[in-house]
Amino acid sequence: MDEEVARLRAELETANRKLGEAHKMASVGRLSAGIVHEINTPIGSIFSNNEVTVRSLEKTRALLEEAIRQGSPPPEKALALIDTMIGLAGIDKMACERISGIIRSLKTFARVTADDLRKFDVNELIRHTLKLGGAVFRRRITFHTDLGELPEVEGYPGLFGQVLLNLVVNAAQAVEDEGEVTIRSRAEGDHIRVEVSDTGKGIRPEDRDKIFQPGFTTKPIGEGTGIGLSICREIIEDQHGGQIGFHSEAGRGATFYVRIPVRQPRKSE
Amino acid sequence: MNNGQPTVMIVDDEDMVITSVRAFLQLETEYNIAGFTVPEQAADYLRTNPVEVVVSDYLMPKMTGLQLLARAKQLQPEAARVLLTGHADKQSAIQAINDVGLFQYLEKPWDNAQLLLVINAAIERTNLLRTLRSKITELDEAHSNLKDVQARLLRAFL
Repeated sequence: MDEEVARLRAELETANRKLGEAHKMASVGRLSAGIVHEINTPIGSIFSNNEVTVRSLEKTRALLEEAIRQGSPPPEKALALIDTMIGLAGIDKMACERISGIIRSLKTFARVTADDLRKFDVNELIRHTLKLGGAVFRRRITFHTDLGELPEVEGYPGLFGQVLLNLVVNAAQAVEDEGEVTIRSRAEGDHIRVEVSDTGKGIRPEDRDKIFQPGFTTKPIGEGTGIGLSICREIIEDQHGGQIGFHSEAGRGATFYVRIPVRQPRKSE
Repeated sequence: MNNGQPTVMIVDDEDMVITSVRAFLQLETEYNIAGFTVPEQAADYLRTNPVEVVVSDYLMPKMTGLQLLARAKQLQPEAARVLLTGHADKQSAIQAINDVGLFQYLEKPWDNAQLLLVINAAIERTNLLRTLRSKITELDEAHSNLKDVQARLLRAFL
């Protein structure tokens, strides 16, 4: 009987982890259209610049060959073309940096780290979250950070990052048109606290009790799965022994907070 | 910047896109290029400066490409409108075609050869529309002149 219970519990844990991982991909997926836009723009520039550079090189070569044949000095036009190419190379570098920045942030969230308990830098994770969320929402959301000095935290960075990304995407989606999202981090004794505030529509009093329940969503079909916050709560409370909560006034935005201990209790051997 | 060459307006909140397209058009054509990273400034420019084609990004802060192209349609109805977007969603494409009478919908990353074909075709269309409009005005004038003449003739003979 005990064996059966243990087996079922193990199965349940595996299923839970899989759901969490699936949701992690889904929360990155919620951003995918925006990410595609952010990557296609610099790629477009690089393609175009490459073509223009090749054509400019051909023209420069023809101009220089002509000058050599005539025994005349290099023509001004060739120098102008070289200046153009130098300018385009600078743009290419910026474009590549932009793409690799997005890919680096994506990698943070694609890593499956449900199992590896380790020390990590919460502020760095916040910066990665903002790089990804910021890239997607920057046209209508102004992001602010107020990051306090934090000790290294022991936990599951992959899962914790998923919570941050969820809270940031929720905050950005709660804002209609243009607004602000602020992330704060503070050390509080042997805990750290992260807050995500938005200037969005806030949470209606009648929804407040249901907000962490799986399946509850106020978003249109296809936009919200209704499991984001319930998974956040599981990750914060069950996996990190912390607390998650919010305060909000309808119409005046919301602030979600998470609080986790700096050290995880050693599991009994 | 009027040298008798057509003016191509490029609007994208990413400076790199404007720089790349400008470098390409300057290499391959003699066109004037009016590049803007702020859509409102582009709309202001359209108030007083004729352009042949407006190429606009879709996702931009404060004003979307669709809103800008709608303004362009009001201010310079003949100027061809092209959307160049990395935001490949069918809904925005359909809306663009229906609402602002889009000439072409291009996706990023774009192909320079195709972009040039579209811009050349757009310029040709704009010129044809402008010629048509001036011919219609001429016809209207001729028509009202004829009416005057007819009225005078009638008065003379009756």
